[in-house]
Amino acid sequence: MLLGVLIAFGFVLSGAVGALAYFMPAIVTAFQDTGHSISRSPLASLAPLTSASASASATAAATQPPVEAPPGQPFTVLLLGSDNDAKFGGTVLTQSMILARVNPKTRQVVMESIPRDLWVPLSKGGSAKIDAAYAYGGASAAVATVEEDFGIHIDHYAWIGLLGLVNLINEVGGIDVVATNPVMDDFYPADLSGKDPYAYERVAVLPGPQHMNGMQALMYVRSRHGDLRSDFGRSQRQQQVLLALRAKAKLLGIADLPDIATAMANDFSTDMSITQIASLLPIASSVQLQNVQQVILASPYTYGGTEGKEDVLLPNWNLILPETHQFFPAV
Amino acid sequence: MRRAITVILLLALMGGFGFGVNRLIASRKARIPTEATVYKPTATRPSVVLPGTLYLAQNGDIYRLSDGFFTDLHLSLSSGNWMQPAYVPGTQDLVAVLRAAEYSNLYLLSSQGTIIRRLSNNATTHVGAVWLNHWMFWPRFAPDGNTLYFSFDQPKDSSTYAVDFNIWSGLLNGKLANQQLSNSNPFTGGDVDPTPMANGGVMYAKYEIGSGNAYSLIAIQTKPLVRPVTLTTSAEDCGQPAPSPDGTMVAMICIGGTGLQSSKLEVASLSGNKLGPLRTLVSNCLCSGPAWAPDGSGLVYFNTADASGHFELWWIKGALSATPDSPVKVTTNLDFDAASPPSWSPLASVPVMSR
Repeated sequence: MLLGVLIAFGFVLSGAVGALAYFMPAIVTAFQDTGHSISRSPLASLAPLTSASASASATAAATQPPVEAPPGQPFTVLLLGSDNDAKFGGTVLTQSMILARVNPKTRQVVMESIPRDLWVPLSKGGSAKIDAAYAYGGASAAVATVEEDFGIHIDHYAWIGLLGLVNLINEVGGIDVVATNPVMDDFYPADLSGKDPYAYERVAVLPGPQHMNGMQALMYVRSRHGDLRSDFGRSQRQQQVLLALRAKAKLLGIADLPDIATAMANDFSTDMSITQIASLLPIASSVQLQNVQQVILASPYTYGGTEGKEDVLLPNWNLILPETHQFFPAV
Repeated sequence: MRRAITVILLLALMGGFGFGVNRLIASRKARIPTEATVYKPTATRPSVVLPGTLYLAQNGDIYRLSDGFFTDLHLSLSSGNWMQPAYVPGTQDLVAVLRAAEYSNLYLLSSQGTIIRRLSNNATTHVGAVWLNHWMFWPRFAPDGNTLYFSFDQPKDSSTYAVDFNIWSGLLNGKLANQQLSNSNPFTGGDVDPTPMANGGVMYAKYEIGSGNAYSLIAIQTKPLVRPVTLTTSAEDCGQPAPSPDGTMVAMICIGGTGLQSSKLEVASLSGNKLGPLRTLVSNCLCSGPAWAPDGSGLVYFNTADASGHFELWWIKGALSATPDSPVKVTTNLDFDAASPPSWSPLASVPVMSR
């Protein structure tokens, strides 16, 4: 009898080890890249972040427990996308900032892109383009800056590096995108494909429905020189690619997690726990496209101007705040 | 001894069981087609035998579909990807785009895939000055088999970031970039997908940006560099025009009202330079690249087979009529280049040529 139990236990243990070995990359990534706490109080230091500390910055910050939305209630996530190379002296600017409001009950999502050139007061003092907030204090400062300027509460953040996005898209077999127009750029940074990080390369994404691999999708969402809308066109394309990724993610199952985790290792971080992410996946896959509202803060919400010698976008807060608070509750 | 063997056997079984569990989970991974798993067209047979000869691009190579069989033109991929084939009327030849990393050129090819000659030279010799390169795409011939229309990113103002396509025409047996036909809207991407019309005009898709959105209009250039006649609205956001062989109908791809996540295959009657109301043949799809059969018997286009993506060839018989047949999927497990519209020659078969 005892022998039989022992043998059965041996098989169960062996099966568990087999499963554990399979999910090991996902487990390692879960420990490394999720559950990063962020500071909810201003930091003293104003030293710019370096690439080496970019993804680790959030962990290192002094922490306070966030006031989280109760389970099942609507919550707000700040999605951050950035370089993670050390091209410009190590400072890491965000190339993409998208506020997402998710209502798990109604399966509705609102995405509001924040222009990277928006000239705002930073949470750590002074004013700058909002893409610098991350450079001066990582996810903590980016979250705090958006919270203070937009008068909202952010429950979570998720950061992804450029290579992480490329690898993620490749891992899901590419995405199908309806390119809105020919995306043409003679001065697209060749920092991921060449030896010289300061070099340029040419981009020509042809219009219409097409299949894109990770690098092609990155060109589509990152290029902005040849677009009359500059960053606004790029923001629209970023939201488009996020939705295309969501469509592909619907096909994935738990067995795909290790490959996804390996693809995004070191290029992803979030303050959400792995269980919170797991609870979000069914919501992400069940949201219908017609229940996704996209907001771009183009004119008249913003207008062009200069600060010092910099071309910037100046906010029309009288319009931005009411628009934002329609979807993201004011605090 | 017997006990030791039993223990070893049991341990081996347990190890095998653990490995089996590991592989069982792995087998539950999503079956999403990738470049590595899609078939070459020559390894498949179409479900419908289509008239004439179709030229299509997949994974940087060009294939011919004739008499129900695919033939690989076996073009060298060492210099870039081949795309956007266009048959030369009245001959067995075709022109195709060879896209390198930072420029593209047009080549004249035989139907067997032999390069006859390069038609353009858009690569700069200035090292590092990538902006001196140029793009040429969407070649298409007039019925005379000599006049060629295409999109070209010239002229380019080097003092700005603007890179936009204009429609150009030229001669196969003469100067290629001979005449600029359209003036694109700067910083929109420009004018693409030219198709010559029987009345001498050129139909194409013109991109504009308004109210924060980019959209395309079907336009007709009646004379070089004059203001074009536009046939569709910004709200309809239509492109990829394909006039039917008899000139009475236009097929197009529209993305207006789709949330930029899908497209619609639409047709409309054409009378002179006026378009009738749009009629949807396929909605909520990723339809692309419509091309009419030379005998007008139907229409092919690209669309994904399912949510896992990758573009297959589809066929609608009787698309000119008010009651066309339902779409039929012609190919399976392929992944056509959706940015390379099919080129459909009326010639039914291609004899082996010695050139």
